[in-house]
Amino acid sequence: MDFNEKRIPIIKIRDYLIVSIQVDMHDRLALQLQTQILEEIYRTGAKGVLIDISTLEMVDSFIGRVLSGMASMAAIMDAAVVIVGMQPAVAITLVELGLEMPGVDTALNMELGMEMLEKRLNKA
Amino acid sequence: MEANTEIKNAKVRIEHIEDVLSSVAAGDLDIRIESEIEDDLTGVEQAINLLIDDLTHELKKSIKMKEDMEDKLRKIQDQQKTILQQQEDLMELSSPVSKVWDNILILPVIGTLDSQRTQIMMENLLLKIVSTGCTTAILDITGVPTVDTQVANHLLKTVTAARLLGAECIVSGISPAIAQTIVHLGINLSNILTKATLQSAMIYAMKKNEQLVDGKVKTNFTDIDDIQL
Repeated sequence: MDFNEKRIPIIKIRDYLIVSIQVDMHDRLALQLQTQILEEIYRTGAKGVLIDISTLEMVDSFIGRVLSGMASMAAIMDAAVVIVGMQPAVAITLVELGLEMPGVDTALNMELGMEMLEKRLNKA
Repeated sequence: MEANTEIKNAKVRIEHIEDVLSSVAAGDLDIRIESEIEDDLTGVEQAINLLIDDLTHELKKSIKMKEDMEDKLRKIQDQQKTILQQQEDLMELSSPVSKVWDNILILPVIGTLDSQRTQIMMENLLLKIVSTGCTTAILDITGVPTVDTQVANHLLKTVTAARLLGAECIVSGISPAIAQTIVHLGINLSNILTKATLQSAMIYAMKKNEQLVDGKVKTNFTDIDDIQL
């Protein structure tokens, strides 16, 4: 099965990239998404990335690490990553796994995430 | 001839003793061996009677003890039920999360914290953050007498989990005793925002949300603009 057929769409709106994960994440998909996002940042020169994981009901340590790694990678490419809409169960799992994601910004929903990015960009 | 009669008599009496013993074995304790004549067997008969008496006495005693024990057991079971019920009630009452202002949640904690309770607290708080969409939560531990490493760890986890959801968690009301314990235990709370009182936590939260500007309360849902604080 070719995983490339199942790409997660990345939408560019003004200076932001919006990624809404609506399928179950498996390891290869997560890595592919990471590359894809970084390439998009490079191609479009986006200043912020919003990743919506509100439909993700399960996050394992690998996905958690990929997400937090992605934020650091984007940061050195001068793009802020905000993870949006994490489920309480997912948050508890990540904390129990010791993945506290330092340095990753989070927001309750897409709207607040967008506001957060705007504030950040205005400051800079 | 006489000897024969004696043997016959003795046989009859022994049979009588056997009958009595089997009755006793079957549970009839009122029966005794009765004999009209006195001879060598009378002693045996009396001894058996005495034994039956003792047995009756002991049996009665043990039955009474059993009843007592059962009574006590019932009482203990009743108490256990009450304790479980009260524990459940306490769990339900012990972690209320209330929305006190636009965007601000308060979780007052009262009483001793254990792992189970902090777990429930954490879940309640996170669910409430998601359902109300509030981005600031105040965890007020004024009513907590002591904390240990585990509880402090749970508090840290709660704050971190809230941050992962995208909400800021402020811990308020840390008593001198708790501050001492936390530092002595070597727990690092420096990346958690702590405020001395619930009031200062509330003021901080309202300032952050731009609901309190220059000592004046601004709200966008009522007419009570410009309340002097």
